Amino acid sequence: MRLLSWWARRLLSAVLTLFVVSVLIFAASRLMPGGFAEVVLGPFAGPDQRAAVSAKYGLDQSLVVQYGLWLAAAVKGDLGTSLLSGEPVAGEFLLRIPVTVELTVLGIAAAVLIGIPLGVYTAVRAGQRGGGALGRLAGGLGVSVPEFVLGSLVVFVFSRYALGLTVGGYRPLGEDVGANLRSMVLPAAVLSVFAIAVTARTTRDAVLNVLVEPYITASVARGEAPLAIIRRHVLRNASIPILVVLTTITAYLLGGAVIIENLFNLPGVGSYVVQAVGRRDYAVVQAGVLLAAAVFVVLTMLADATSGVLDPRLGKAVR
Amino acid sequence: MTTWRRLDPLSRTGLVCLVVLVLAALAGSVFGLGGNPDGIVGSRLAPPSWQWPLGTDQLGRSMLPRVLEGIGTTLLLSTLAVLVTASLSTVLGIVAGYRGGWLAELVLRMVDVLYSFPTIVLAILVAAVLGPGQAATLCSIVLVTIPLMTRLVRTAAMTVSERDYITSAVISGVGWWRILARHVLPNVSGTIAVQGTYALSVGILVEGGLSFLGFGVQPPESSLGVLIQQGGIYLLAAPWLLAFPGVVLVVAILAINVFGDGLRDRLEPRESRSLV
Amino acid sequence: MTLLEVDQLVVDYGAVRALDGATLSVARGETVGIVGESGSGKSTLGSAIGGLLPKAAEVTGGEVKVDGSVVGSMSARELRALRSTRLGYVFQEPIGSLDPTMRIGRQVALALRGRASRADVLDRLATVKLADPARVARGYPHQLSGGMAQRVAIAMAMAAEPELLIADEPTAALDSQVRDEVLDLVFALAAEAGTTILWLSHDLPAVARRCSRVAVMYGGRVVESGPASAVLAEPRHPYTAALAGSVPGAVSEGQRLVAIPGQPPVLSGASPGCSFAPRCPAVLESCAGERPRSHVSGGHDVLCHRASETVGAAR
Repeated sequence: MRLLSWWARRLLSAVLTLFVVSVLIFAASRLMPGGFAEVVLGPFAGPDQRAAVSAKYGLDQSLVVQYGLWLAAAVKGDLGTSLLSGEPVAGEFLLRIPVTVELTVLGIAAAVLIGIPLGVYTAVRAGQRGGGALGRLAGGLGVSVPEFVLGSLVVFVFSRYALGLTVGGYRPLGEDVGANLRSMVLPAAVLSVFAIAVTARTTRDAVLNVLVEPYITASVARGEAPLAIIRRHVLRNASIPILVVLTTITAYLLGGAVIIENLFNLPGVGSYVVQAVGRRDYAVVQAGVLLAAAVFVVLTMLADATSGVLDPRLGKAVR
Repeated sequence: MTTWRRLDPLSRTGLVCLVVLVLAALAGSVFGLGGNPDGIVGSRLAPPSWQWPLGTDQLGRSMLPRVLEGIGTTLLLSTLAVLVTASLSTVLGIVAGYRGGWLAELVLRMVDVLYSFPTIVLAILVAAVLGPGQAATLCSIVLVTIPLMTRLVRTAAMTVSERDYITSAVISGVGWWRILARHVLPNVSGTIAVQGTYALSVGILVEGGLSFLGFGVQPPESSLGVLIQQGGIYLLAAPWLLAFPGVVLVVAILAINVFGDGLRDRLEPRESRSLV
Repeated sequence: MTLLEVDQLVVDYGAVRALDGATLSVARGETVGIVGESGSGKSTLGSAIGGLLPKAAEVTGGEVKVDGSVVGSMSARELRALRSTRLGYVFQEPIGSLDPTMRIGRQVALALRGRASRADVLDRLATVKLADPARVARGYPHQLSGGMAQRVAIAMAMAAEPELLIADEPTAALDSQVRDEVLDLVFALAAEAGTTILWLSHDLPAVARRCSRVAVMYGGRVVESGPASAVLAEPRHPYTAALAGSVPGAVSEGQRLVAIPGQPPVLSGASPGCSFAPRCPAVLESCAGERPRSHVSGGHDVLCHRASETVGAAR
C-alpha cells in the first residue's frame, strides 16, 4: 500500500516533468525558423504531402489540439518522419542506439572502476602532508579539460601515429568485435576522463562528509581496520551522492555524447541530432531532445528508489 | 584583500591566472596588442615565429590577436551569462527557500524540468530556436547553469530562515523584504559566490562546446570555441591553431575550478578524520 | 597499579591550544570523573588516550601511557589492538555513533569481533537491559530512541570487556529521566567486568556521587584532582569551588556563587600564568605571570598559587 503510494507519487512527478518538457519542446518547434509542416516534411514537400500532414497533425486546428495530437503520436512511438531519409524518426534512433549504449557502458564502467576507488583514496589521504595540491591539480585537470580539446589532441596523436587504434571508421559490434573495439577505445577513453574525474570528485566529497560522522569515530575507536571501515561503513553511507552523479553521467551519455560522437564520426544518437540541427531536420531534433529528457527522468526515478534501499532512513518513504 | 590572505597557494595561483587572462584580453582589445585580429598579415598556416608568436591561420591572419580577442569574447559571454544566472537564481532560490508554499513548488518544478535536459542538448535546442550566435550562447549558459544554483541558494536560504535571529526579527515585526536584504541575502552570498565561480567554468565549457559544434559564436567573430573548431579542421597541417586556444581554455577552466575549490574550503571548512 | 598515565600532555589544533600540560593518573579499577566546561580540553584528553585525535590536532608535548605503553609511539597495528582489546568508548551522540545504514544486530556482531552468533548478539543486547533485543537487533539506528541507542553503544563498547571505558558525556543528549538508568548500567557493567571508568562530564555533583575520584579541568590542564567526596566537600581550587557552589576564603559563608563571571580561555600557546586568573575571585598578582605548580595536600592534587591558603581556609 505504502510502496504503491510512493511509486505513484514519484511516477506522477516524473510524468508531470516530462509533460512540461514536451510542452517546451513543442513550443520550441513552433518557434524554430520555418513552419511546423516544414519541420515535419522539410521545405521540398509537395502540396499533397502538406495536406496529409495537416490532416494528421490537425494544423488547421488550435495549438492545444495540435499539441495533443503530436503528444498522442509521440507516446505511441510515432516521432515523425526524418526529412532527409524520409524514414520514421523512431526507426532511425533505434539504428543508432547501440553505439550510444556501448559508449555509455564503457564510460560508466571506467567511472565506477577507476573514479570511485580514486575518490575514496584521495578522501582518506586528505589533509595528510604532500600530494594534496598535486592531487587537487590532477583532479581539477580531469574536470577542466573539455572533451573537444582532449578529443582533438587524441585525434591528432592517433592520426599521426596509428598505434593500432583507429580514429573514426566505426564498425558495429555484431560485425567485427575486434574492429569495433579498436574504433571505440579512443572515444570511450576521452569520455572516461571526464566521467572518472567527476565521479572521483563527488566520491571524495561524499567520503569526506562521511569521515567526520561520529559513527566513523566510533568504529575507529573500536579498533576496526581502515579498509574494513571503508568497506563496511564509509562506502554505503557515501553511496547516494555517487549514485546521483553516476545517474547524471549515464543520462548525459545516453542523451548523446554529442561532441565525442561528432569528433570521432561515430553514428550514435548525439551526432545524429547535431547533424539534424545543421540540416534543419527538426523532427529528429524534437525526438532526440524528448528521448534524452525521458531517459533522464526515468533514470532519476530509479536512482531515487535505489537511494531508499541504500539508506534505510530514506527507505521508510519507499517501503 | 582578506579573501586573498585566506586562500591557499593553489587557489591564489588560479586567481592570478584569471587576472592575467583578463589583462591579456584587455591588452588585445584596448591596446591592440598583436595587431588587428582580422588583418591578413602574411602566409597562410605559418608556424609560430618571432613575427607571429602564435603562428597564422588558414587565411593568413596572425593568431595572437585572434586568441586575445577569443579570450575576451569567451570570458565576457560567460561572465554576463553567470551574472544573469546569479541574479535570477538568487531571487528564485530565496523566494523558494524562504517563502515556501506553492511558489517554491513551482520554482522547483521548473528547475527539475531544466535539469532533465542534458547540458549540450539543451544548448543545441536553444541554438536551434534562436539561431546560432552570441545570444543563443548566452541563453544556453544561463539555462544550463540556473537549475543547480537555484537549488543550492534555496537550500542555503532554508537553513538561514530556520535560525533564531530570523525568527526574532519576524516576531519583532520587521518587514520581510528587510529581513531578506539584511539577514538572508548576506548569508546566502557565500553559496552564490562559490556556485557563481563554478558556473563561470561551465559557461566557458558550454561556449566552447557550442561553438565547436558550430552553433555558438559564428566566424569571423573569434571566441576560444570558434578558434578550437577552426583549428580542428587544420589539425594535422597546423596543430598550433588548436593548441594555443585549447591550452588557454583549459587554463581558464582549471584556474576557475581551483579558485572555486579554495573559496569553498574557506567558506565551509571541515575537519578530517584519520582512519588509522 | 597505574592503568592510565597522562603526563604533561600538550595538544594543539593549529594555533589553538586544547591541552596545556594536562596530567592525570588513573589506577586500575578506579572510577574517575573528569569535570570541565566545554572547551576545557576534557574531550581532547579522552580522544588522546585512544590516539583518536582528529587530523588537525597535534600532540606537541608530553605523553599518554596505557598500562606502561606510550600511545603516541604505537604503530597503527598496535593502536588498533589497544582500541579493540583494552579501551572502550561511549560518545555523546548515541544515534549518531551508530552506522545509520546497518542493522543494529550486525553492528553489535562486528563489535563482538564478527564471530558472534545471533544468540551472542541478543545476549549482549539483553545485558544492557533492552526490553526486546530481537526487535532492536533487526532495527536501524534511526528507529531507536536516544536512550536505547546509547544502551546499544554501551553494549558495543563493553563487548570486548575493555580495561578502560572512556565515556564522553554519555548522557548529555538524553532525556533527564533516562540519564540515571544509563549511568547505572555503565557503572554496573564496568563493576562486573572489572573495567576502569573515565567519565567526562560537566556536572561536578553528579560525577562526585558515582565516582571514586574526580579530576577538574580548566584551560587544558587538570587543576584539581582527588577523592570525589573530598573534592566536592572541600574544594581547594577556586574554580572547583565555583563548580561545587561556593568559594572558600573569598566569599563569606552562606553566600552562593550562581555563575562564574567571564569566559573560559581560548589559548594560543602555553598559558603564561594560571588561565583561571581573569575569572578568579581570589586572584593574586603572581597568578597572571607564573604558572601554578602542582600542590599536593590531603589527597588533593591542586594547581593554584593559593593552594596552601585555601587548605587553611577550609579548615
